[in-house]
Amino acid sequence: MDKFLAIENTIFTITMVLYFAAMIFYFVFFTVKKEKAGKIASAIMIVAFVLHTAALIARGIGAGRLPLTNQYEFATSFAWGISLCFLIFMWKFHFQALGVFVSPVIFLIIGYAAMQSKEVKELMPALRSNWLAFHVSTAIISYGAFGVAFAVSLMFLLQLRQKDSNFWKNHIPQPEKLDLISYRAVSLGFLFLTFVMITGAIWAERAWGSYWSWDPKETWSLVTWIIYAVYLHLRISKGWKGKSAAIFAVIGFICVIFTYIGVNTLIPSIHSYA
Amino acid sequence: MKQLKKIGRFFCSMKFALILLMILVVACTAGSLIQQKQAESYYIEQFSEQGARAIMLFGLNDVFHSLWFIILTVLLCINLVLCNLVHFPTLIRRMKEGYSLDKCLKAWDKEPIVVVKDAKPLFQQLGFRKMQEVQDAEGNTYLYAVKNKVGIWGAWLCHLGILIIIIGFSFGQMMQKEYTVYGVPGQTREVGDTGYELTIDNFEIKLREDDTVEQYQATVTMKDTKTGETQSGQTEVNHPLSMFGMKCYQNSTGWAANVEIWHDGVKEQEQLLCVGEYALVESMEGLAVVFSAFYPDYVKGENGGMTQSSQLNNPAYLYRLYFHDQVLGMNVLMGDERITIDNYDILFKDPQPYTLLQVKRDPFSWLTGIGGLVVLIALILAFYLRPAEIWAKLQEDGTYAVAGRSRKGGQLFIDKLKETGEAIADK
Repeated sequence: MDKFLAIENTIFTITMVLYFAAMIFYFVFFTVKKEKAGKIASAIMIVAFVLHTAALIARGIGAGRLPLTNQYEFATSFAWGISLCFLIFMWKFHFQALGVFVSPVIFLIIGYAAMQSKEVKELMPALRSNWLAFHVSTAIISYGAFGVAFAVSLMFLLQLRQKDSNFWKNHIPQPEKLDLISYRAVSLGFLFLTFVMITGAIWAERAWGSYWSWDPKETWSLVTWIIYAVYLHLRISKGWKGKSAAIFAVIGFICVIFTYIGVNTLIPSIHSYA
Repeated sequence: MKQLKKIGRFFCSMKFALILLMILVVACTAGSLIQQKQAESYYIEQFSEQGARAIMLFGLNDVFHSLWFIILTVLLCINLVLCNLVHFPTLIRRMKEGYSLDKCLKAWDKEPIVVVKDAKPLFQQLGFRKMQEVQDAEGNTYLYAVKNKVGIWGAWLCHLGILIIIIGFSFGQMMQKEYTVYGVPGQTREVGDTGYELTIDNFEIKLREDDTVEQYQATVTMKDTKTGETQSGQTEVNHPLSMFGMKCYQNSTGWAANVEIWHDGVKEQEQLLCVGEYALVESMEGLAVVFSAFYPDYVKGENGGMTQSSQLNNPAYLYRLYFHDQVLGMNVLMGDERITIDNYDILFKDPQPYTLLQVKRDPFSWLTGIGGLVVLIALILAFYLRPAEIWAKLQEDGTYAVAGRSRKGGQLFIDKLKETGEAIADK
C-alpha cells in the first residue's frame, strides 16, 4: 500500500508541475496572442488531468478508501473537479481561452493541497459512512463548476473593458454567450451544491442526530447557496443581468473558498477533521 | 385599496425576495463568525463591553433563534407563497397556450438558422420526439415540435420545496423531543418524561491495532413502562437505532468509575461516577468529591497528566475535594491509592467506559426530506429540461428551412441547432 502512496506522491508532483506549465502557456497565449501556445496549454491540461486522475486512484488504493477525507485529499480532489469541469466546458463550447482564467485557480488549489499533510490516517467513526462518498464527491463537482463559472464571469467583466481587442473578439465568446456559459456552470454547481447539502443533512442526522445544527460549515454552505440563488434571480431581472450577475458569480466563488478553507481554519466547527 | 395592492405586489416581488436573501446572508455570516449561545462575560472579553451590549441587544448571541431571524424567515415564506400563487395561473396558461407554431412564426424573422434536406433526423437528434406537420393559411407546410414544456415548473417547484423545508424544519424544532441518556452496561435510566426506560445492555469500543477507535457500539433495550413492551437493538455511530418511534444515537463516550467512601474502616457508600460527576459524603454534610478526569494509561507530562493510550495500563483518577464549596484539595490518585481526610478514606476503582446516547423524536423530519427531494427535482427541471421549440418550413426545392427558439437556452440553443443541422447537412 505504501508503494501506491509513493507513486501517488510522484504523480501528484508531476501533475502540479504540468498545471503550472499549462498556466504559463495560457499566459503566453493571452499576452503574446500566440494561438499555438493556447493549443499546447490545452494539451498539457489534458495530460495533467489524466495524471491527476491516476494520482487520485493511486491514493485511493494506497489509503484503502476514497481519497476524500482530509484537507489534502479534498484540496487535490477540488482541483481535479475544476479541471474536469474546465475540460467539459472547453470541449462543449469550443472555448480554449477559458483555460487562461481557470488554470491559475487550479494551480492555487493544488498548491494549497501540496502544503497540507499527506499522511494517511484511519477514519474516525463519524467519517465511516457511505454518505461520505456522495457528500464529498458532489461537493467536488459543485465546487469545480463554480470555479469555472468564476473564471467565465471574470472574463465577462474584463471583456466589458476590452471591446476593441482583436484577441478578445477572436478567442472569447460574445458577452451574451459568456453569460450563458457562466449560467450553465452555475446551474451545474448549484444543483450539485443542493445535493451536497441534502446528502450532508442525511449524513449529519445519522452521525450526529441532527440534520441541521447551524454549524459554521453548514451555515456557510447555505450562504453560498443563497449567493448563487441571488445570481440566478438577477439573471432574469432586467437591468441587473450581465454585469451584476457576473459580480455575484465571483462573490459566490469567494464564498466557496471561504466555506472550504476559511471555515476549516478560522472558525471552530464539527467539520474540522483535518 | 391601491396602497394595499402596492404592498401586496411588493411582498410577492423578486426585489423583496432578493432583499430578504441578502439580509439572510448577513445574518448567517454574523451567526457563524460570532460564537453562539455564550455567556455575556464571554462577549465582553471578546468584543468589549459596548460590543457585548450590542450583541445581546440585537440577539447576535443566538442569531438563528432570535425573533428578528424568525420574522425574516416568515417574511421569506410569505414571499414564496405569494410568488407561487401569482405565477401559478401564468404557468398553467403558458403550458396550455404558450407554445404554438403560430407564435413562433409571428416572432420569426424568416431567416433560417440552417437548411437541411430532411428535418426529421435533426429534430430527433436535438431531442424533439413528437413532431406535427402543419399547413398555414398560405398553404406552406411546416414541421413543428416542442420539448421540455414541463421545465417551466422548475422555479415554481423549487420555491415550493424551499417552503416545505422551512415548514418541516420549523415544526421539527418546535415539536421535537430530545433526551440524553448515559451510563455503563447494566444501568437502566428513564428517557425524560416519555414513559420509556432505556437499559444499556452492552457498550463496546472497537479499537484498531494502532489504538485508534474504529467504532462505538451500544446494545440497548427500551421498555414502555405502561405496557411493559420492550424493543432492543444495537446503535453505533452513523447507524442509529429506531425504537417506539424514537431514534437512539450513539453520541459520545467517556470514563466512569466506582467511588467508595469508607468511614473508620467501614465501607459506608459506593457509587458509580462518570467523569465530571460528584458524590456527596452522606455522613459528613458539605463534604463532596468530584471525579474530574481519568487517565487510563497515565504519564506525567510537562503540563500535567496525560494518557499514552486508551488501554487500562496505568489508571489514574484526577479528583477534587470540596467542603462547603471550598476546595480542600486536588490531586491524581494512582490505581489503588486513596484520599484520607479525618476518618474518611475515599478511593476510585473499576474504571470502565460509559456511553452517552441521544434519544430523539422529530415528527417532521420526513417533511423536510420531501422538501429537499422537491427542490432537487425542481432544479433538474429548471436547469436541464429547458423548454425549446423548433420548426422547419418545407421549401419549393424540397429542403427545409429550420429555425428554433428557447428562452432559457438562448444563443447556446441556436448554436447547437446550427451545429447539429450543419453536421447533418454535411453527411
